[in-house]
Amino acid sequence: MEFSLSFLAPCVLSVLAIHAWRQPGCRPKGLPHLAEYAALAALGVAALGLVQVAVVGTAVLSFIEAPASRALNANLVTSALVLLVAFIGWVVVRYSRTYLDGEAQEGRFHALMLATLAAVLLFVQSGNLGMLILSSALIGFCLKRLLLFYRERPEARRAATKFALVWHGADAALVIAALLLVANYGTGNLGEIATVASKIGLTWSSSLGIALIVFAAALKTAAFPMHGWLTEVMEAPTPVSALLHAGIINSGGILLILLAGLVQLSPGVMAALVMIGGFTAIFGAAVMLTQSAVKTSLAWSTVSQMGFLLLQCGLGLWALALLHIVAHSLYKAHAFLSSGGAVQAVASLRRPGPIAVPSFAAVLKSFALALVLYALIATAFSVLLGPKTAQALALGAILIFGVAYLVAQGLADLAPAELTKRTALLSLGAAIAYFAFQAGAQAFWGPALPLAPTPGPLEWALIVLAVASFGLVAFAQALFPLWAHHPSTAGLRVHLANGFYMNALLDRAIGGFRSEKAY
Amino acid sequence: MFLNHSHIAPVSPILKAAEDAARRIPPAFPLEATVAVNPFLGQTGEDLATASARLQRVAGVRATQPVAAYAAMLENGSLADADLDAAVLSAKSRLKPKDVAALKAALGKDDAQEPVALPTVANLAAEFTGVDWPSIIEKTFGVWAAGQFDRGQALWSPTPGADAFASWRVWATHDLTPEIAGLSGFCAHVTAAPDMADRAILRAAEALGLNDHAAETAFHRLYMDLGGWSQHARWILWQQELAGETDRTLADLLAIRLVWEEALLAHVPEIGGKWAETVEAHSAPLEPSEQDVALAIVQEASERAHQRRLIAILDGKTATNGRPALQAAFCIDVRSEVFRRALEGVDPTIETIGFAGFFGLPLAHKAHGSDVVEAHLPVLLNPALESASHADPKGEQDTRIAARAARAWGRFRQAAVSSFAFVEAAGPLYAGKLVRDALGLGDKATKSAPAPRVAGGLDAKAKADTAEAVLRAMSLTTGHGKIVLLSGHGASVTNNPHKSAYHCGACGGYTGEVSVRLLAMLLNDPETRRGLAGRGVSVPDDTLFIAGLHDTTTDEITIYDDGLPSGRGDDIRRMKGWLKQAGRIARAERVAALPGATSTTIADRALNWAEVRPEWGLAGCAAFIAAPRAGTAGKHLGGRAFLHSYDWQLDDGFGTLELIITAPVVVASWINLQYYGSSVTPNIFGGGNKLIHNVVGGIGVIEGNSGRLRPGLPWQAVHDGERLMHEPLRLSVMIEAPCEAISGVLGRHPEVRDLFDNGWLHLFTLKDGKVDARYRPGLVWADATQDLAA
Repeated sequence: MEFSLSFLAPCVLSVLAIHAWRQPGCRPKGLPHLAEYAALAALGVAALGLVQVAVVGTAVLSFIEAPASRALNANLVTSALVLLVAFIGWVVVRYSRTYLDGEAQEGRFHALMLATLAAVLLFVQSGNLGMLILSSALIGFCLKRLLLFYRERPEARRAATKFALVWHGADAALVIAALLLVANYGTGNLGEIATVASKIGLTWSSSLGIALIVFAAALKTAAFPMHGWLTEVMEAPTPVSALLHAGIINSGGILLILLAGLVQLSPGVMAALVMIGGFTAIFGAAVMLTQSAVKTSLAWSTVSQMGFLLLQCGLGLWALALLHIVAHSLYKAHAFLSSGGAVQAVASLRRPGPIAVPSFAAVLKSFALALVLYALIATAFSVLLGPKTAQALALGAILIFGVAYLVAQGLADLAPAELTKRTALLSLGAAIAYFAFQAGAQAFWGPALPLAPTPGPLEWALIVLAVASFGLVAFAQALFPLWAHHPSTAGLRVHLANGFYMNALLDRAIGGFRSEKAY
Repeated sequence: MFLNHSHIAPVSPILKAAEDAARRIPPAFPLEATVAVNPFLGQTGEDLATASARLQRVAGVRATQPVAAYAAMLENGSLADADLDAAVLSAKSRLKPKDVAALKAALGKDDAQEPVALPTVANLAAEFTGVDWPSIIEKTFGVWAAGQFDRGQALWSPTPGADAFASWRVWATHDLTPEIAGLSGFCAHVTAAPDMADRAILRAAEALGLNDHAAETAFHRLYMDLGGWSQHARWILWQQELAGETDRTLADLLAIRLVWEEALLAHVPEIGGKWAETVEAHSAPLEPSEQDVALAIVQEASERAHQRRLIAILDGKTATNGRPALQAAFCIDVRSEVFRRALEGVDPTIETIGFAGFFGLPLAHKAHGSDVVEAHLPVLLNPALESASHADPKGEQDTRIAARAARAWGRFRQAAVSSFAFVEAAGPLYAGKLVRDALGLGDKATKSAPAPRVAGGLDAKAKADTAEAVLRAMSLTTGHGKIVLLSGHGASVTNNPHKSAYHCGACGGYTGEVSVRLLAMLLNDPETRRGLAGRGVSVPDDTLFIAGLHDTTTDEITIYDDGLPSGRGDDIRRMKGWLKQAGRIARAERVAALPGATSTTIADRALNWAEVRPEWGLAGCAAFIAAPRAGTAGKHLGGRAFLHSYDWQLDDGFGTLELIITAPVVVASWINLQYYGSSVTPNIFGGGNKLIHNVVGGIGVIEGNSGRLRPGLPWQAVHDGERLMHEPLRLSVMIEAPCEAISGVLGRHPEVRDLFDNGWLHLFTLKDGKVDARYRPGLVWADATQDLAA
């Protein structure tokens, strides 16, 4: 089969983007509705495309008759991502229909939004490195214009400049990587390159190529220390943030997943992913604790979640990484779009009275309980679905430390028994839900993706390091109310709230502190 | 007096100036329960032209509309030469143009000139060094303030209970951002600064060379520089003073900002000369320019043009029918006018009444499942009655457990490490939530809360006292209908940080539900009725009070069945039918102004999470009429008038008149001037662009990534994208009462009189539904018909 319905999704959107471009102004007649219908149509073909792949099998699209030149790919991985992006796309375009009503550049906004979506849809089903780079550059080009939607705002111009620098810096790294890889393996075809590379083996230049791909992925997922651009881009209308955090920010992870077979050939690069990802995950999550503005807090949450995604990639848990992309995108799109409810949400926190603070003993108990819960569930799933890899078990342990926090809240001395019961049920539900989702992801995507490598000494060291550091942070978090307001931690809070000044240093380096003349 | 607590610093003129500057800042109520505040609250002692001059100095904006806006009015004829003439004649300034021609010439002169505020040291330093110090200060101060005033957004907030200045010192001695930006030694500078705000202010004032004359506007300039954070601090002071306490946060903020100025001046000594010039400019007495005066006169003329049209509409009272079958009381809110007119048109046996939506009950209320005390009354007043909508112990416990479990889940979502588990476990389920919210299928039918009760109950005397006071204030001591509907109001909106701004201002930014339900139950209580009879207020036995809530987004009215007698089912059904019909008529009228709405889709706006203009709130408000409804019934007032029912002949000793002028009129003027400020000075008194709002600390919004809190109404609440939906006019108050009685009230309340004498409010008397006399500054009355342009 040569053609997938998923390939139509970007086409539909591009046609309408061009149409929208011709009515750039306020209240373009009928356009906002048309834009939504186009997004809905894209969603329709995306859904059919996934069904097609599942039933009929994979598809490719080539513009010239050569197997190496396939432009687009359709398999279970790409089709699922197309469906995800098209779904988020429909939601944000529908939202924009009302939200942007009456804006001076309403039509232009829709044009840019549709074009960005089309570019993301191309990106996720790229068949070769050229297409990947081209669509990535296109995403950057469109998104920068969306970030400059309120060009008169100096903050918006600063954020857009930073974004473009990092994004296109990553694109440049990808170009070099592509050249190195094609020079080594004679193909830029995403489906073939890993096979060829594993036959020929790594050279220093192809290793550099892979390292550059990981570097690009780290930039695009806003990994430490180049995370600063992401925490400033709430300067565009909310749907742009939703699309960015749910559709675009994933491209780094998608890049790695599309090239999983290749990336996994290099243990050093995988180790780097674990370290960069793990650190960013913890760093972002800690900074998020201190953020009082809802969208800023969500942005830090994304930094952290993308770090976690890199960690999963580094552990070779590709199907779980894909699940994380899907789960995070859906959650984050909703979180941004509904962020106007933060006033009510904060007010409702105080209503039912003070929070019961768990004691040290209660926290210890909760961790023990969570581990028992984990042992039970992991055993059950292993019996049902076969043994899990060490990496998967480690990831499960990290997640269960998170659940322990929920258990701990119910174990506080002052928590009424009914509350203890509820939080216990929630904890159990959460644990079962993510093991079930993970089993599903593994079953659906696992066959299309490489298996996690058998851990050697390096991998084991990293696994232990990751589990220990996440466990420690989780433990500190559960005891948080007991130490957070101690005078000795006041300085830590200040440094965290400022994201360890990485952004300030970047600003200084690129002139972000300068008073700029409007351009 | 918030600055006088220092035991070390004596009250110096500098500290006095700091206090005066602080008093010029209006309070901004947190969005959880926000109410409109007059942004010119600190300027009511001066007229519009002077306030405009002051704002130009301290904020770089005029308090009047752009020249182009007035030119457009002249062009399209809505502003006539006669209006200008009348406004010129009545102006008192010695700088005023001699006639209309001179006025027009003055307007045309330098309209291109945009006002610029006097620079701060930060501005001068930025100009000299090229480093954007104002934005660095805004950003770093903003991050600190967001944490300091956070009510629960961040899990890790600063130590609760610490004073702002002390807390900032801890922050600033650790924060490396200023030093990275180039201000080396700033942490040390903060460490060396005095640890008390007063002393820090005095030291900085000395370092900056601020003399006693320059200090006030120089301080005011810095307060304006902090935007909404100053106004939030002013709110803290407001609340404390209402409770008889005081608060120092405002002084702390000034001290913080001054520490910055001091450091920057030391860092860039080269700007010393320019700064000295600025101080010189600050010490010059504040006087409006000819342009300021001319613009204020045209503004007055535009208000006179509106009055001219209004006076033509008010052409005398209509005859009243016999005993009404339905007497429906609504809030004085301008949105009620549309509905009341519609309802009265449905059936001749319907009569409506206007009264402040809290209906006189000063409640401190706890909602269902909540320990938080909410003040359901105008913010000028202190609560005097405690109430709660708590269910039976079991129901209450269930609600609280559910809320606490949801809260624990929320912390699970937010905390480090557990946030990953949350995403993996619950993320996929958000696909369903996205579909639900995208299609507006959210919580459509919310069950109404349990009926509110007064804490501890009321004894017979208290019941009768309360009921009598309310009914007398409503001029509702005789002629009760068979059904008296007490309708509060609130707006259904989704995902809107400014939700409470659409609710009832008279109920402190909450809906009127609690007040009307309590009052209806109180007035139906046989014990209350007996007590009332003994006080000469006879309510017929067959009069039934019913509580309802007018949803101002959908124009539907919810009726609360708090023990309504089954025998009156037919009456109630008929009433519901009327209300439904009236809702349809009101929606049809409102549709015209709502972009993209049809009368069938108007209700969807309440559920659409992307809707930034669910309804128009009080936009357009321009008049306040306190008179018997007979004078305004049947007149199309376009949803622009507050209507307060008042019959002076029933008002012995004019106690009710005094209440109206000092409470509802003042509240209405706050609302009206908030809309004025948000339309005319959107950058300083407006809430900014909703599309990039970022809710901070649960108290307010910032725009995007900036650090400045934005109080006031968002641009989308006053502008439809193509034109301003609020015509910025100062309120015209019209009261049917004798001039002397009104003068008497004003004489006793100089702060209210200020509003009229300085032109922040216009005042007229009515006679038999027609405008009779116009108030002139100094308790003087003129014949309104002569004074008006034809």
